[in-house]
Amino acid sequence: MARTAAGRGSLMSSPEQPLRKKYWSSGNSLAAFWIPGMILVGIIALALLVITIPVLRNPEYLAGAASDPVVFQAFFVTFLAGFCAVGILAITGTPLAYALSRSDTPWKGVVETLVDIPLVLPHTVAGLMVYLLFMSRGLLGAPLGGIGLTFEDAFPGIVAAMVFVAIPYYVNAVREGFGRVPVQLENVARSLGASRARAFVTVTLPLTTRHIMYGALLAWGRAIGEFAAVIMIAYFPVVISTLIYYRFNTGGIAESQAIAFILILLCLVLFFVFRFLTRRAGVYDDRS
Amino acid sequence: MIAVEEISLTRGDFSFAGISLQVPKSSYTVLMGPSGAGKTLLLESIGGFLPVTGGRILVAGRDVTMLPPEKRGIGFMYQDYSLFPHLTVEENIAYGLKMKGIASRERTSTVKTLLSSFSLQTLASRHTGSLSGGEKQRVALVRALATRPTALLLDEPFAALDPEARLSCMDEVKAIQKDHGLTILQVSHDRDEAYRLADRVVVMDNGRILQTGTPAAIFSHPVHPTVAALAGFENILKGTSGSSEGGRTRLSIGTGTIIADRIVPAGDRILACIRSRDITLAGADIPLSEQVNRIDGQVISMVATDHGCQVRFAGPFPLLIDIPGDRSSWEYRPGEQVVAWVAPKDVHLIRIPKNTGDGGNAP
Repeated sequence: MARTAAGRGSLMSSPEQPLRKKYWSSGNSLAAFWIPGMILVGIIALALLVITIPVLRNPEYLAGAASDPVVFQAFFVTFLAGFCAVGILAITGTPLAYALSRSDTPWKGVVETLVDIPLVLPHTVAGLMVYLLFMSRGLLGAPLGGIGLTFEDAFPGIVAAMVFVAIPYYVNAVREGFGRVPVQLENVARSLGASRARAFVTVTLPLTTRHIMYGALLAWGRAIGEFAAVIMIAYFPVVISTLIYYRFNTGGIAESQAIAFILILLCLVLFFVFRFLTRRAGVYDDRS
Repeated sequence: MIAVEEISLTRGDFSFAGISLQVPKSSYTVLMGPSGAGKTLLLESIGGFLPVTGGRILVAGRDVTMLPPEKRGIGFMYQDYSLFPHLTVEENIAYGLKMKGIASRERTSTVKTLLSSFSLQTLASRHTGSLSGGEKQRVALVRALATRPTALLLDEPFAALDPEARLSCMDEVKAIQKDHGLTILQVSHDRDEAYRLADRVVVMDNGRILQTGTPAAIFSHPVHPTVAALAGFENILKGTSGSSEGGRTRLSIGTGTIIADRIVPAGDRILACIRSRDITLAGADIPLSEQVNRIDGQVISMVATDHGCQVRFAGPFPLLIDIPGDRSSWEYRPGEQVVAWVAPKDVHLIRIPKNTGDGGNAP
């Protein structure tokens, strides 16, 4: 980022230069905004470097982590649980987001506050709540245990914790998307013979694709990063955050750095793939 | 036809109660009123998008009050046309047929026929975002017509068009309405639109119907100040009726008098409505052949308009006066003493009922 901003000056073509210089020096420059902002960007860049450089300097740790079946399994469990959490959110959170965006019931505020609660709670508190609800004697854990679904130290427990902390991320993003679809479009669809449900599926949903995908990405990122809430209900099977923390405490910094590096790399790749796959989604314009 | 019987509706802090309205079969009815009058809400409640709290809505004799929009058989078109941006022109037009469960083959042929009869073939596979205003309007209209609705509700369908496209679109819609015998209820705030399109005009304000009639009747004989303002009476003056004589009544307005060609009982509160173009202006020293309704006063300001100049006049009461001719031919200057004159036949009267303060439903 810093390089691009500085590089722009040298790329200016000479005939325009005096005029552009004059323009930027006459109070139109964004420098006053960029400079404090760069502190944050700089911290993120440095944080990436302090993970990356040592790992690249001692590649044997990276090789060790990459070939460690425990690490592989932790990644598999984490990503899979993340996808399951997003799937559950898509099925339950999408209708909730739609109801919230279209309803004007006085109870809406209460529901909105409840949805936002996982956002403001310390993650340990969220973990405690999930544990109390889903433990084998818990309010939901007991009856679900009766039909063979155990949460304590089990995969479903990880998914439950992930869903809980990711609810506001998904619901709020998707709700914003629904809010952007004019209700007039649905009205017209209905005047043309579509029921409310069909108007939703054929008009509202396709026009919200981008927000739904964005909400899913946010929720997934939030879910796979969850640590505190997950370990309280399910220390095992080990998710990636648990493994990094465990290796940090027992094996040392270098080992945890290597796993962290792989995680960052995988996330970056996934984000880029996601962006590439969705670059045309929800864009309906013949001109572009 | 559409019959709205005494419907009531509350939406936020706006409400209307007991509104009744008739849209005769195959008629083009234009619903007018100032912004915030509740026109769109009324249209949306007929369309079924807003629940009414009382009354009945009948479409072709069938009570649809409790039916969802998709079962009412009413086409709806918004000012921004609300085309589905994720569908092509063709898909937009086919949408209603698809929802009605028309088989794919029949759908394709119907859409094809519609596309060609409305000269939209070249746009068939385009998305709607890049269409011009006129094209969008036509697509929206064809989409609404495709399912053969019993009636069409149009919410300011011409407001978003540029002036040239507007006229041709209006003529097209009117022609389609006539050819197909469509029943249309359209919201408008434009007098020209009403003259061009309407068989009947309904004027509403503040959730009440104020007047119903042919465009000519409404615009030449408004019975309410809101209607008078819509009808283009720039001058609406409050006053009291005095003595009548020879079919004329003398009115006291401000510190002056005006004579109108109508008999009104003495002592009534009235509104005298005069179009700015019906007032003549002359220099104070020039004798006028007509002796009645000479009003002495002063030019306050002059503003150029399409057809000449609008003069702000201050006398016993303020007036807006339109005079022809461009800037170079203006004979008056602000501050100058002048005489304004209006023919008694051009003074339209609205009687204010004694019990209410706001106009109401005089003759």
